[in-house]
Amino acid sequence: MKILIIEDEPSLRESIITYFTGEGNICEAVANHSAAIEKIHLYDYDCILLDLNLPGGDGMTILSELKRINKKDGVLIISARNSLDDKLAGLNVGADDYLVKPFHLSELQARVTAIVRRKNFDGNNFIVFNEIKVNTVSKNVTINGRVLTLTRKEYELLIYFLANKGKVISKTAIAEHLWGDEMDLIDRHDFIYTHIKNLRRKLIESGSLDYIKSMYGVGYKFGDL
Amino acid sequence: MKLSRRYSRVNFITSLIILLITGIAYYLLIHFILTEQLDRDLAIEEEEIRAYTKQYKSLPAEANFKDQIVRYHFEPLAFTRMFSDTVYNNLKGHGEEPGRRLITSVVLSGKLVRVEIIKSKVESEDLVRIIFYITLGIIILLLSSLTLINRFILNRLWKPFHVILSQLRVFNISDGREIYQEDTRIDEFVELNTAVTALTRRIRKDYVDLKSFMDTASHEMMTPLAVIHSKLDILLQTGTFTQNQGELLEDIFNGMSRLSRLNQSLLLLAKIENNLIQDKHAISLKKLVMQKSRQFQEILEAEEISVTLNLDEKEVFMSKYLADILLNNLFSNAIRHNIKKGVVIIDLNSQFLSISNTGRTEPLNEDKIFHRFNKDNSSEGMGLGLAISKEICHYYAYRLTYQYQSGQHRFNVFF
Repeated sequence: MKILIIEDEPSLRESIITYFTGEGNICEAVANHSAAIEKIHLYDYDCILLDLNLPGGDGMTILSELKRINKKDGVLIISARNSLDDKLAGLNVGADDYLVKPFHLSELQARVTAIVRRKNFDGNNFIVFNEIKVNTVSKNVTINGRVLTLTRKEYELLIYFLANKGKVISKTAIAEHLWGDEMDLIDRHDFIYTHIKNLRRKLIESGSLDYIKSMYGVGYKFGDL
Repeated sequence: MKLSRRYSRVNFITSLIILLITGIAYYLLIHFILTEQLDRDLAIEEEEIRAYTKQYKSLPAEANFKDQIVRYHFEPLAFTRMFSDTVYNNLKGHGEEPGRRLITSVVLSGKLVRVEIIKSKVESEDLVRIIFYITLGIIILLLSSLTLINRFILNRLWKPFHVILSQLRVFNISDGREIYQEDTRIDEFVELNTAVTALTRRIRKDYVDLKSFMDTASHEMMTPLAVIHSKLDILLQTGTFTQNQGELLEDIFNGMSRLSRLNQSLLLLAKIENNLIQDKHAISLKKLVMQKSRQFQEILEAEEISVTLNLDEKEVFMSKYLADILLNNLFSNAIRHNIKKGVVIIDLNSQFLSISNTGRTEPLNEDKIFHRFNKDNSSEGMGLGLAISKEICHYYAYRLTYQYQSGQHRFNVFF
């Protein structure tokens, strides 16, 4: 994937670049409005990560500029809640998704992957990882051609892992991904544990290798052994 | 008691007492003066009789006029000269009349003659009566005008006060309405108006300052939070950690997660208070409640809590976002403070939405639960959920109430 990061906070920009680089991704980053406009004119990106509060101009104008020059780049808005709600209209102006700061990088990765997948394959595609094949339209999962029946949460978990393969994902990130706002309720991680345990069992029983590894008690990693 | 009533009561009683005292004193004085006058007249008459007797050696004829009677008695009894009040028979047919009598004596040819002179007191009595009526009239006039002044003039005088009072009563710190001042030339009220206006301005300014501080603070916190968040994620990728380090990391993640949610909540509160959420949609609460109960199902099952839904159709006009948060908070609350194998009952009709749950077997403190950061020790939340819910309800002019009945904690949203 080719990704453009438009974010003025250097530390955050660095983190995103670090997290996304590798796995065949190419990341470019700009810190202000004019540089961003220049980049979108010059190149095509699979996904643009756009912070709305930019020095030198409102991030929303970048969206309209993209539309004006008829670019089909995917756009994910990353912004603080306050500026976001007023601009949820942003989704109508051409953004594909938004993420509220602060966020987990794994969540960002999952969102970006989803956008790129929708963009590139017109919503009709498969995610393939070794013997695991996921049809994201019918939400069918097969291992070596054998259909695997997963609950909704287990399916979401698998997709999340696949988007972040090779990365250590913290339990809080998983919990917030699966439960969102309700997480206010469960600071206990036994729910996650149950889901992961079930997913892992089902994958192995269907003939997959054991790709899910618990990492130092703080999170999980899905990836090649 | 009203100030004016209190004041006029004191005024009234004092005036009445003073007027009565002066009236009585006046009456006595006039009475005394008139009696003196009569006595002088009687003494003059006595002198005349004495002079006549001395000159002519005989008594003047007994007289009996309308207002003066002279009688002689030839009794050798000893007596003293004295004035006294009496009642005598008026010849003019007026019947008995009050009079003033002088009993004295003259010596006629060596013999003592008792002389009785009576003068009518009717005229002087009339005078006293007239004076009495006039005084009474003055008393009534004075007191009634005092009452009228109190009722009308005082009410008008106090109007600026009442105007400002009624405005203070409806004073709302968050709307920008200035205090309206009734024009007045009364110094006290001018001062009051000035003081109140200055006070409300200062309060408003402090409030705005404080609010914008909170807004800015929580907003500014966002960036470093996002940085820490992302750096933690990166740190996690960097290498192998021991189990011990992993536990530390997990605590940090949990703390971060709480901090972010706290910050989001504060931002949300600020937004609602600043009327920044404008989008309104027709929302079927029935659908939303059902959706929420599905969403929370997993947790409900884990806690073995049974849910009963009695839902009628109810459409509200709210921001979807806020409606979602409101129900999330109420649901979370009902579950978090529930007991194992507890009960949640949700009623929805056109008047209200109520969520009841089993839990601690004592009522919560109704005054405190809606306050920010109020939570009991066992609560894992931040103590903002109910404050936010209250704020959301307030925003849409709904009423959020709490009651404890038959062992259940019940939160009602009245539309």
